Amino acid sequence: MLPYPLLLIYRNFKRFKSTFFINLIGLSTGLAGALLVYLWISDERSFDRYHALDGRLYQVMENRRTAAGIATQTGTVPLLAEALRREMPEIEFVATTTPVPFFPAFTLAAGGQHLTAVAKYADPAFFQLFSYPLLVGTPATVLRDKHAIVLSEALAIKLFRSPQNSLGKAVEWQMADRKQTCLVAGVFAGVPRNSSEQFGCVLPFASFKDQMQMSETIKWDDDGPFNTYLALKEGADPAQFQAKLAGLLKTKSAQAQARGRTLFVRPFSAGYLHGTYENGVATGGRIAYVRLFALIAGLILVIASINFMNLFTAKASRRVKEVGIRKALGASRAALVGQYLTESVVMALLALVVAVGLVQLVLPQFSALTGKPLALRWEPQLVGASLALALGTGLLAGSYPAFYLSGFQPAAVLKGKLPTRAGDVWTRQGLVVLQFTLSVLFIVAVVVVNAQLAFVQRQPLGYDKAHVLRFDTGGKAARQQAAFLAEVKQLPGVVQASSVLGGFLGGRYVAEMSWRVKRLPVATMLVNYDLVETMGLHLVAGRSFAPQFRADSAAIIVNQALVAGLGMPDPVGQRLDGARIVGVVRDFHYESLHEKIKPLLLRLDPQINTVLVKLQPNAEQATIARLQQLYAAYNPGFTLDYTFLDADYQAQYVAERRVAVLARYFAGLAILISALGLLGLAAFTAERRRKEIGIRKALGASELSIVWLLTSSLTWLVVIAIALALPLSYLLMQRWLEGFAYRVAWQWWYFAAAGMGALLIAWLTVSVQAWRAARRNPVLSLRAE
Amino acid sequence: MLIIKTENLEKVYRTEEVQTKALNHVSLTVEQGEFVAIMGPSGCGKSTLLNLLGLLDEPDGGSLQLLGTETSRYSERQRAELRKRSLGFVFQSFNLIDELTVFENVELPLRYLGVGAAERRQRVEQVLEKMQLLHRRNHFPLQLSGGQQQRVAVARAVVNAPPLLLADEPTGNLDSASGHDVLGLLTELNEAGTTVLMVTHSEHDARYARRVIRLLDGQVVLENSRSQF
Repeated sequence: MLPYPLLLIYRNFKRFKSTFFINLIGLSTGLAGALLVYLWISDERSFDRYHALDGRLYQVMENRRTAAGIATQTGTVPLLAEALRREMPEIEFVATTTPVPFFPAFTLAAGGQHLTAVAKYADPAFFQLFSYPLLVGTPATVLRDKHAIVLSEALAIKLFRSPQNSLGKAVEWQMADRKQTCLVAGVFAGVPRNSSEQFGCVLPFASFKDQMQMSETIKWDDDGPFNTYLALKEGADPAQFQAKLAGLLKTKSAQAQARGRTLFVRPFSAGYLHGTYENGVATGGRIAYVRLFALIAGLILVIASINFMNLFTAKASRRVKEVGIRKALGASRAALVGQYLTESVVMALLALVVAVGLVQLVLPQFSALTGKPLALRWEPQLVGASLALALGTGLLAGSYPAFYLSGFQPAAVLKGKLPTRAGDVWTRQGLVVLQFTLSVLFIVAVVVVNAQLAFVQRQPLGYDKAHVLRFDTGGKAARQQAAFLAEVKQLPGVVQASSVLGGFLGGRYVAEMSWRVKRLPVATMLVNYDLVETMGLHLVAGRSFAPQFRADSAAIIVNQALVAGLGMPDPVGQRLDGARIVGVVRDFHYESLHEKIKPLLLRLDPQINTVLVKLQPNAEQATIARLQQLYAAYNPGFTLDYTFLDADYQAQYVAERRVAVLARYFAGLAILISALGLLGLAAFTAERRRKEIGIRKALGASELSIVWLLTSSLTWLVVIAIALALPLSYLLMQRWLEGFAYRVAWQWWYFAAAGMGALLIAWLTVSVQAWRAARRNPVLSLRAE
Repeated sequence: MLIIKTENLEKVYRTEEVQTKALNHVSLTVEQGEFVAIMGPSGCGKSTLLNLLGLLDEPDGGSLQLLGTETSRYSERQRAELRKRSLGFVFQSFNLIDELTVFENVELPLRYLGVGAAERRQRVEQVLEKMQLLHRRNHFPLQLSGGQQQRVAVARAVVNAPPLLLADEPTGNLDSASGHDVLGLLTELNEAGTTVLMVTHSEHDARYARRVIRLLDGQVVLENSRSQF
């Protein structure tokens, strides 16, 4: 036997089966969407928070004044950690490290095995600052020795079968033409997935200092790409520390003061979500997507709740009599409100159960889509969040019906007739307008995001990304780079080959350069011979690098943006930053289309070992096999890990692609739920106007005219929604598009498609109900009166 | 003791263009233990009067004393409180809740009074037995005949032993045998001490009452006791 309130709910659900199912579908899909977004958001928020010192852990950042405003960077001067340790007693641990994207992959060799791994150099305090539990070795000492290497558990197992077995063993690493032998001093458990940096081994920063022949004392004027992290002592006041740090550089360096360089710290775990700075102020980053999706999930729930409200009140004419009876028997308004709220909350909890099932069903696809292995783990937080979502939705959805129904005078409703109140009609219609406004907004978003992504594909990039293979060389192939590349170029199926530091796409090292009176930040790309030819860059003046010109080691090729920026009338032959310009290439997008093409120079460096190979189309597989053979001949035991440049290009728009797919899902959800709601409202209208329809039909109205009678009023609501949504969607999507330096132009049909789409869906939905009402025998309608 | 006392009670229905005076300065009194019938043609205001007396609607003017207290300025909450403690209703269309069984319908006023489950059960069974409905306790209203449904409604109206029972055309939807049955029940209740006020347009039904108040166009036009019929 069910408890009394549940019994009532059960009987009501049984009585209004179609309403029950429409509500269940609406609320459960809405809740499922919200749950998925919750899982995604909690994963995003978990990034970099697993360190024991989180809360006291900071990254040192630098602001500097430039012509374009204050620039913020994570790079700090070399040896900053040592200086800070000496000068700031508030610091418990501090370490300088090389940033992970700094080097191409290292090759590790031991016992005849070769593996590639991402490496970083770090000061001894690294394992004290960050919680990467050591399976072998102690955090305080593991990086003390210059010849130490700390491996991840996975690498240790691959090279030495077990972490314990690897202690003290020799590993030879190689990167480009450098190599060194070191001894395993420790093994760490590995980097968790929710870390913003992934690496496989850590080397002592002291060793890096030796290799680079860096000064033993800090040079405050230097620029540095290095990252500095610190943990404050317990009880130290971060604000006071911040103030002290801000004044540090100008007391140390006149140049720093002149260039407006200042240091500050940001909480380490904030870097992942709040990584973007504009003019020295944190302006967001990935958090924007977290907020966007939270907002979208909220809106979907609002749409689902509106459905519940509309369907509930639509059936109110059949429930008001009950309200009258209960009130006549002495039920207080509060008791009735309680009863209806209980009903909506139970409904929402039921929907939650269905939603959990739905989430389980789509979680594999959703995980693939977001690139995160998400799972429903029923920890207290998730249980709490799910219940709160359901409870909140239930209360939101139930509030209007509860107060609406319980507010009638019993005498007015005891006869079972619903009094007409202008305000209620407006409320209901307003809710439908709101639903459709949101739906149209979602449709426009889908159209615009997809149009921009198509634009990204279509946009001429200034280079040819098709059939270009990219890989990092190691071993002998790296040491004898020129010979290796020459042999690659000879392979059948290879059109051209070259190499570039780090990769062809992505951010570059930027330094200010001056020519005559002008000064400009200029990005540098270190390249090998034949890069212009391999990438299909277009020379507009001068020539490409070539081995026959010995002076090319001090030559550069610049892009048109640089020429225009410095206002060079005749660039070829001019000198810039101590090098002679030998060629000018047409501007090409070496960064994503989010960024404007900025001044760039190409400098020759035949040693760099990220190789780019242009293949002939249609014979890629055979050519790759030949490449692998050649590589194996140079480096027995090495594997060739390659990617296609096209994939690297697409990877720049992963976030946008996710938004596109998610927007599509959510737009579908919003429309589905809104259409269900409209179905409810159409039923309500048909019921209210039953007598009118009966009379009209008795007087000879055609079924078609009745259908029009019922659809026209709802059509107007949708038209109003479209009118509201279009300017709003323009404003919102324009803001999104502004994140791209190169963006698609607005087309009138984006709006027309969204508006017509919404209208069509609305018509289809409403006409089903309208036909049913129109075909009803008028005698029945009139007798019911 | 006076159970009901109204003075110049007024009720006006307004739409945008028309204003209809449903009750116009109605003054009347009902003593404890009386059985009063309110009669009049359709639209004379008798149901409006009953709704006001039952606190189901608010008057637009005048005073309304129930059980010795002035109620015309009562809040919604106070009116709900008085309804559940002191008033019982029987309607022409029975007004049973279709989703509730006979037992649950009759039990409803006791629930709102906060009576415990065991006592509720006992009192509901008692009154159902008296109405010869105990064997129907688990039926839903739509499974019963009209006469049976109205007996359930009467059972529900008296389960909390209210001093005043208001009946709005209680036989309007019944055949004559069932109607007779229900009127018999009301008479019995009245003889047991409950004050009964019944709206009817049937002269036959009105004969069960000891006093008749006649309304026309929202005004009391005649009051007479049974001896004067």
